[in-house]
Amino acid sequence: MTKRILISLDIDGTLEVGDPPGDLTMEMVRIAKSKGFIIGTCSDRPLSTQRKILTQHDIEIEFAVSKHMLPDVKEQFEADVYCHIGDRDDLDRQYAIKADFDFMWPDEAAAHHWFHK
Amino acid sequence: MATQNAPQSMYRSEEGLGIWEHRGKVAAVGIGHSPTERRWDGHRDTSVGALSILALRKAMEDAGVTPDQVDGLVITPVTTTGAFWPEEDPLPWDVIKSYNQTDDPLDGIAKLSAEWLLKNMPELTNVKYTQYGPTCMSNALNVASQAVGDGLTNVCLVLKAWHNLPGRYYQSGPNAHDTIQGTPAIRTLWGAPACSGTALQFAEYCRKYGKTHDMMAPFMINSRRNGLMMPEGYWYQHRPEELTAEDYEYARWIAKPANLFDNDIPIMMAGAYLFTTAERAKDMKQKPVYILNHASSEAIPRSLTPTLDEVEAETASTARKIYEGAGITAADLSFENMYDGFPQFHQFHIEGLGYRGIKFGEALDFYQTDISIEGPNPVSPSGGNIGAGRSRVWLHTDSIQQIQGRAGARAVTGVKPEIAVSGGPMPLGGNYTVWSATPD
Repeated sequence: MTKRILISLDIDGTLEVGDPPGDLTMEMVRIAKSKGFIIGTCSDRPLSTQRKILTQHDIEIEFAVSKHMLPDVKEQFEADVYCHIGDRDDLDRQYAIKADFDFMWPDEAAAHHWFHK
Repeated sequence: MATQNAPQSMYRSEEGLGIWEHRGKVAAVGIGHSPTERRWDGHRDTSVGALSILALRKAMEDAGVTPDQVDGLVITPVTTTGAFWPEEDPLPWDVIKSYNQTDDPLDGIAKLSAEWLLKNMPELTNVKYTQYGPTCMSNALNVASQAVGDGLTNVCLVLKAWHNLPGRYYQSGPNAHDTIQGTPAIRTLWGAPACSGTALQFAEYCRKYGKTHDMMAPFMINSRRNGLMMPEGYWYQHRPEELTAEDYEYARWIAKPANLFDNDIPIMMAGAYLFTTAERAKDMKQKPVYILNHASSEAIPRSLTPTLDEVEAETASTARKIYEGAGITAADLSFENMYDGFPQFHQFHIEGLGYRGIKFGEALDFYQTDISIEGPNPVSPSGGNIGAGRSRVWLHTDSIQQIQGRAGARAVTGVKPEIAVSGGPMPLGGNYTVWSATPD
């Protein structure tokens, strides 16, 4: 049976549309989405802005949350793998660890097979 | 002699001083702003010195004044509250050497002296008066108002600039050391964020008056909305993001009950004004905005963080000083632009003022009514630091622009902009200016 994978994406410093831009391109996110992954954002940007950014790039997301809300995401979605991708130790990695998510830095994620055809 | 901080005698920090002796005889005319940036990119033309020169030149141009007519310069020499040049980082000598230097290589990079500006603005050939109003534009405005009124300068530029460096705010400078001397050691030892003192006061406020954090949402939404109509501001220029009640409610706590959006975003910018006498202002390009009074709060709390009782006593006292010197009452205010960075003390300021008749404990209920620029009770039409980024300048720029009829999409329409008050920063420790469309 295929593993159900949930990916939580930070925006600034992680996505190419972030401020500063990160390594993950929107096309990579689209590829992961096309593979059936549960995709959402987890950023310090306002929730409404998170949704708007992804919508502007024609990517439908399953959730948009603040950094401290990763446990809520885990509760809401059933998956075999939960992974947060972000560029900060204090605001990404530590929140991911606390929520029992796997964690990847943006450059690691950009090279990961999840984001490639 | 190097430029000095203004003497204590220039500030109106006591109650009972009566009408300000220069009431209506000093005016703001020109406004100049640099573009904003989130952080310095290391280039010459985006340094805090460069932004300052740009803002000053714009203020002169806006007022229709040639540089040789300027004879005074009042600035704030400190250009950050939390972005200090890391000791281990090499100095940016290429940028430093591209300007005329003072003895301090970080002058124009991470701080600013009047001497540096004069060395790099050769067109200012007649400046004979320089003075520092430390920390905030609010302070510099008080100094400039008094200096023009006292005849120390006739055409005076006033400047406040901010730099911001890569890396985290408040993590450098003394906070990066293993030990810290003095009182800050007690605060910093526990790693309390800058907003923690205000958060404590706000928590006590909510407990005392039975209010909740989510009652701040209309103020936050209104501030960001107004800020997104301020073309000079950071959010307008770079990230036109609205705030919704949901956005505010679900932001992470920084120091509960202060969340991420209860903190302003540090940026780079410079803002400048041209002040002159009411008489001289008549010949200038923009409509004069007359200064009816300036007032200061210099209260010192009994302990590390002011209590709510101390905050309320001081904001009430500040209001009495503001009104007494200006010869007005709360009912005369068309709008208010008190400081908001941290937003949770904005209500302390306006309760102290008795803005629209509100009393202590009533501001959050007031926020649930129409506080928009279109309504009869505009609150923070500038959008403040929440709407435009950390500058402590927008509140003054907006007050001047509203009264000059130059606030654009942000113009208050529910009231006629005739008299306004702006200032801050803290409820204990701030400087305030009363602006008017007429000198009397």
